Amino acid sequence: MTIKLIGYPISTPTLRVVICLKELGIPYEFEPPASFQALKDKDYIANKHAFGKIPVLLDGDYVINESRAICRYLVSKYQGKYNDTILIPSDVHKAGLVEQFISYESCYYDSPVSKIIGQEVFAKKFRGKDPDPEIIKQGREDLSKVLDVYEKLLEGKEYLIGEFSLADIFHCPCTNLAYGIAAHSDLWDNRPNVKNWWNNLRNRDCIKKSFEEVKN
Amino acid sequence: MTIKLIGFLISTSTLRVIICLKELGIPYELEPPASFQSLKDKDYIANKHPFGRIPVLFDGDFRINESRAICRYLVSKYQGKYNNTILIPNDVYKAGLVEQFISYESCYYDSPVSQIVSQELLAKKFWGKDPDPEVLKEARKNLNKVLDVYEKLLEGKEYLVGEFSLADIFHCPGTNLAYGIVTHSDLWDNRPNVKNWWNNLCNRDTIKKSFEEYRA
Repeated sequence: MTIKLIGYPISTPTLRVVICLKELGIPYEFEPPASFQALKDKDYIANKHAFGKIPVLLDGDYVINESRAICRYLVSKYQGKYNDTILIPSDVHKAGLVEQFISYESCYYDSPVSKIIGQEVFAKKFRGKDPDPEIIKQGREDLSKVLDVYEKLLEGKEYLIGEFSLADIFHCPCTNLAYGIAAHSDLWDNRPNVKNWWNNLRNRDCIKKSFEEVKN
Repeated sequence: MTIKLIGFLISTSTLRVIICLKELGIPYELEPPASFQSLKDKDYIANKHPFGRIPVLFDGDFRINESRAICRYLVSKYQGKYNNTILIPNDVYKAGLVEQFISYESCYYDSPVSQIVSQELLAKKFWGKDPDPEVLKEARKNLNKVLDVYEKLLEGKEYLVGEFSLADIFHCPGTNLAYGIVTHSDLWDNRPNVKNWWNNLCNRDTIKKSFEEYRA
C-alpha cells in the first residue's frame, strides 16, 4: 500500500517530509486536506493530528504526525531500501553530529528565518496585514548572528556535517522561502561557505523538484 | 574514560541529559562551567559550543552538544549496556510515536511552560523585573489547551506512549519547575490522566534523585 502524505506544499513542515520521501526514493501519494478549516474537524483531531496540524503520514494502518518525527520514522524504516542515500549515518558519532545540527536548526535557525517569512510571505496572505519592518529587522539581526556561526562551521564542508544528511533537509523549506525574497538573499550570499552550502542544496535533484512543487 | 557533562543543574537542558544518563545507568562526572559569562569566552565557543550554551558532553575524544542530540546519542550508544531500560524502542512504529511526542514537547508544550517558568522564577533573579501577569495569563491559556489534548492522549496510559520513554524524560525538567510553583500546579492536578502521568514520573527513582540534586 502506497504511503499517503496529508499536507500542503506551501507548508514548510510538509515540504520537509516531501524532500525526505524523495531523497529516500520512497513512493507516496500526496493528499491536501479539504481546507485549513478541515484541520479543526473533530474527525481530523481524533484520527489524524491531536493538535489539528499538518503534515500527517499514513503507512498502511500506521498514522504518524509531526514532520521531524515522520522523517525519522521514514529513515528508520526505509533508508537503504529504495536507494543508497544515507540521511542518518549508522556510525553513532556521525549520527550524533547530525542530531546536533538538527537541534541547531530547531533552536537557533528556525526562529529568525520564520520571523522573516512570517512577515514577508504570510502576513498579507493569511492575516491581511503589511509586513512589520521592526520584526523583519530583528529577524535579520538574529539570523546574521546564527549565519556567522554557520559560516565557521561550514569551513571546508559541502554540507553541515560534511556529507549530506537529514540536518540539511530540515533547513531547506524555510530557507527556500526566505532566500527567495530578493531583499534577504544577501544573508546567505554574503557568506562564502553558507552560499556554497545553500547552492549545493538547491541544486540537488530531489530538492529542486520539491521546491518546484511549492511554486506550482 | 568516564563521560564528562558540562552544565549547571539549574539549567533545564542540563537536567534533561542528567535524567537520561541516570535512567540508562551510565556513569558520568558533572563539571559546572566557571560561570555563565565563561560560556561566551572565545575558547568555550571554539571548543565546546559555537552558540555558547550548555550542556556539552565529552565521551572520550567525542564532543556533542544540544541536550536532545546528546540524549539521542546516549540512547544509540548505551541503551541496554548498563541496564534494561529502553528509552527508544527498537520497534520502528513504537519509536515513531516516541518521536511524535518528543515533537509535541518541543513544538507545543515547552513554550507555555517556559513562559511560566521564565516569569515566575527567572524574571526577578536575572532581569530584576516582577512577573508580568499578562504573559502568565496567556501562557496558562495556551498550556490549558495543550494539557486538554494530553488528557485525552494519556487515557489508559501510565506514560506518553504507554511505556516509559525518552519523550517522558524530555517533558520533565520544565514541568518540574512549573509544577513546583504552587499557583500553577493546578494545571496538572486538575486533569486525572495528566496528574497520574506526572506522579508516575516524579516517583521514578532516577527522576526523584535528579530533582533532588537540582534542589540541593
